[in-house]
Amino acid sequence: MKISEDWWAVICAFALIILAWAGVLGKAKGMINIPW
Amino acid sequence: MDNKWVGLIVGLIIVFVLAWCSWQGAAWAGANLGDFGKALEYPLWAAILGLIANFVVGSLKLKNFIKPGIRTELFLKIGLVLLGTTININTVLRAGGGGVIQGIFMVTTVFLFSWWLGGVFKLSDSMRAVMSTAIAICGVSAAIAAAGSVLAKKEELAYITALVILTALPLMVIMPFIANALALTPSIAGAWFGGNIDTTAAVVGAGTIHSKKAQEIASIVKMSQNALMGLVAFILAVYFVTVVEKGKEKPSPKVIWDRFPKFVLGFIVASLLVSIVDAKGASVLFSADALSAMSNLRQWFFCFAFVCIGLELDFSSLKQVGGAPLWCYLIVTVFNTVLALIVAYIIFGMLFPV
Repeated sequence: MKISEDWWAVICAFALIILAWAGVLGKAKGMINIPW
Repeated sequence: MDNKWVGLIVGLIIVFVLAWCSWQGAAWAGANLGDFGKALEYPLWAAILGLIANFVVGSLKLKNFIKPGIRTELFLKIGLVLLGTTININTVLRAGGGGVIQGIFMVTTVFLFSWWLGGVFKLSDSMRAVMSTAIAICGVSAAIAAAGSVLAKKEELAYITALVILTALPLMVIMPFIANALALTPSIAGAWFGGNIDTTAAVVGAGTIHSKKAQEIASIVKMSQNALMGLVAFILAVYFVTVVEKGKEKPSPKVIWDRFPKFVLGFIVASLLVSIVDAKGASVLFSADALSAMSNLRQWFFCFAFVCIGLELDFSSLKQVGGAPLWCYLIVTVFNTVLALIVAYIIFGMLFPV
């Protein structure tokens, strides 16, 4: 079954949200902060 | 490695580098060019750098090669789902309610005006359908949905897609300044951007240039309007089968769900998750660091999308169809702009202030 772009967007975004919830993104905050 | 995968990786690297340069450009302008520099927000830098890169990769004949990495819609939708993590569900429901009412009125009025004017300009029925849906709902994706429903020619779709981006870019920059000059509140300004600018990426861009609140309201209003896309695609398909091309197989209402923008569901769930708060109003599920990281990521994905708008504009398709659709499109855009301002003022200024 082909997954539509809409569902891909939801999958990618929720993967990031789960990483944030697990604390991984919070720890990596320095790496992804907007550079100024 | 497959050529497509190499193109994808090279395309993504180009988009990332241009997005990073956009942040640097906006930061430099803000620090060195006074008030004028502060107005040069990152969506503007991203779109301009994207356009410059478009000319460069176009003249090097690399545009098709990097195309797999130019994913405007995907980046934008990821950013919009992440935007859900910054907005309380009460705001979403309130602005979404106003957005649906505004959407139904705007979509119907603008679609019928554009359809009528297309007839005056003697455009083909399929061109009128694609153009009217693009202006009335949400630009490129609506144009694609309508083109599928009415079996439009490929060059008609390419032409409208180029026009959508060509008009959306200046509107993205000019409308926030007009909104400030008219002293519109962020809610009314956001509803105006969401109701008028055709492509969702430019709606988010205009909101970003104006203010955080305008970005939120503009996105919610536009998503409410996007949700109507399936219904319009279905009605168009029924109209073309029963009136224009009699005797063909009847379309199924399943198209309403097929064309429904599913990422909107992701946005609502994300907003629900952050709306679970304790007695002090702090998020139960996410730490402050996590919320700030998601907010930063959202801006990165929006920035990727703004870069891609500039990168994907196809000037050559504008030459293929001639001038009549261009004039028709511009007149409807002016009509849409004025009407959206009045409707946004009534709905978000008087009936449902957010």
